[in-house]
Amino acid sequence: MGTTIASAGTGARYWLTLSIGVMALSASMTAAAAGTPVGTVIQNTATVNFDLGGAPVMLQSNVTTITVVERVDVAVTLQSPQTVVAPNDTNRALLFTVTNLGNGSETFTLAIDSVLTGDDFDPQPSATSIYFDTDGSGDLNVGDQPYAAGTNDPVLAADASVDVFIVNDIPGTVTNGDLGDSRLIATSATGSGAPGTVYAGQGDGGVDAVIGTSGGEQQADGEYLVSDVAISVNLAQNVSDPFGGATPVPGATVTYTITIEVTSSGTATTSVVRDPIPAYTTFVPGSITVNSAALSDVADGDAGEYDTTGAPMIVVRLGNLTQADGVQTVSYQVTID
Amino acid sequence: MSDERIRNVLKALAAAILLFPAAGLLAQEQGHLSVKTVVQKEQVELDEAGNEKTVLVDAGKVVPGEHVVYTITFQNIGDEPAQNVVITNPVDANLTYIEGSAFGPGMDIQFSVDGGKTFASLDALTVTEDGTQRPAEAKDITQIRWVMHEDLAAGAQGIARFAAVLK
Repeated sequence: MGTTIASAGTGARYWLTLSIGVMALSASMTAAAAGTPVGTVIQNTATVNFDLGGAPVMLQSNVTTITVVERVDVAVTLQSPQTVVAPNDTNRALLFTVTNLGNGSETFTLAIDSVLTGDDFDPQPSATSIYFDTDGSGDLNVGDQPYAAGTNDPVLAADASVDVFIVNDIPGTVTNGDLGDSRLIATSATGSGAPGTVYAGQGDGGVDAVIGTSGGEQQADGEYLVSDVAISVNLAQNVSDPFGGATPVPGATVTYTITIEVTSSGTATTSVVRDPIPAYTTFVPGSITVNSAALSDVADGDAGEYDTTGAPMIVVRLGNLTQADGVQTVSYQVTID
Repeated sequence: MSDERIRNVLKALAAAILLFPAAGLLAQEQGHLSVKTVVQKEQVELDEAGNEKTVLVDAGKVVPGEHVVYTITFQNIGDEPAQNVVITNPVDANLTYIEGSAFGPGMDIQFSVDGGKTFASLDALTVTEDGTQRPAEAKDITQIRWVMHEDLAAGAQGIARFAAVLK
């Protein structure tokens, strides 16, 4: 049904969002087009027209020639949002896109670096720490191919890109709210270094390769957020049809009951339940309750409302929850259209 | 004939012989122009004082994004003035003209966006794109031409230059 529970770790502004897959940020590559193909030859001749004693004359200059050689450039873009993890989690993936911004075909070597400064803990690269998103799902799955340096270094044509995961385990010693960063580095196999460095004859077709502004090597950092507050959520539905039975027919009333419970230590701060009204149903006005207390449909001072600003949904705010608060029950009703 | 007279005759003959080839050359190229093009790119160097200066170096190999500068030099190597001198240079499809870079003292500079059929100043040109007409931009230019205001006198020189970016 797409119910979401959003809450924050202790005393912080973080969000713990359940039942949602990795949000892939749209990789809107700016128009950094690869440019004129390697090996293109550009010739130029100037023409002069003039009159001499009234008679027209035309002359041409010499021909100048320039040859387009290869520029080596790469970009690495983070796709994953801040990824929520728990202590002792294994094989937690962060998704990146590696793009060949040069004008020739290029091979790139990939590397992971999780020992970065400025964060609270170092993620531990998993046994296999780099994968290609072979099935294009945005999630690390069985169908995704492991990367092995020197064996399957990605070869990208000009402007082409490949999606890559870096994969880490989370140590057991982290605490709620800790941040851990991990980096993907992509390096051009032709070479890297100061922009303008020339690798004579190393470009496509044996022309020179020149390092572009990216230096031929780029990196991006992803981030893990530790949240160790465990929340248990359950959904139940109860159908009551107009004929005294429980058949889901038009006109039947469905009562949805959502129970939420914090099952670990710690506090889930600012918890909010949002449940979209299912398609082909109509919300029953006045039917929202939290822990058996009725809530008004409008957005007023109480804990919840029927929100129609976007897709219609129930919104109930549960505040800060701990294990001691026990089970919270939110319910509402719809009729089947 | 005395030695002195022979020497004088020989001198006169030598002078005449020296003159004739020159006169012959002048006769073939009378009123003609010589025209030469070079293509260069900008490079930043340090001068003796350690200050950065931009110099033009020969451009044989370029990468997308680099600027190239075409310089056309011409001279009237004849002994009659050349009239209505017009230099025309195409802008290769893989190059984009850099607006404002065209240079030519004593010349009107005009542009074409239709492959050289018509020329005008850039702000007078329009192109049709997706069925609508819009003012022409640097990227639409296909040719540049330099039109001399005055005749090019015998022995006089001129220079025309423009810069473009490799796409």
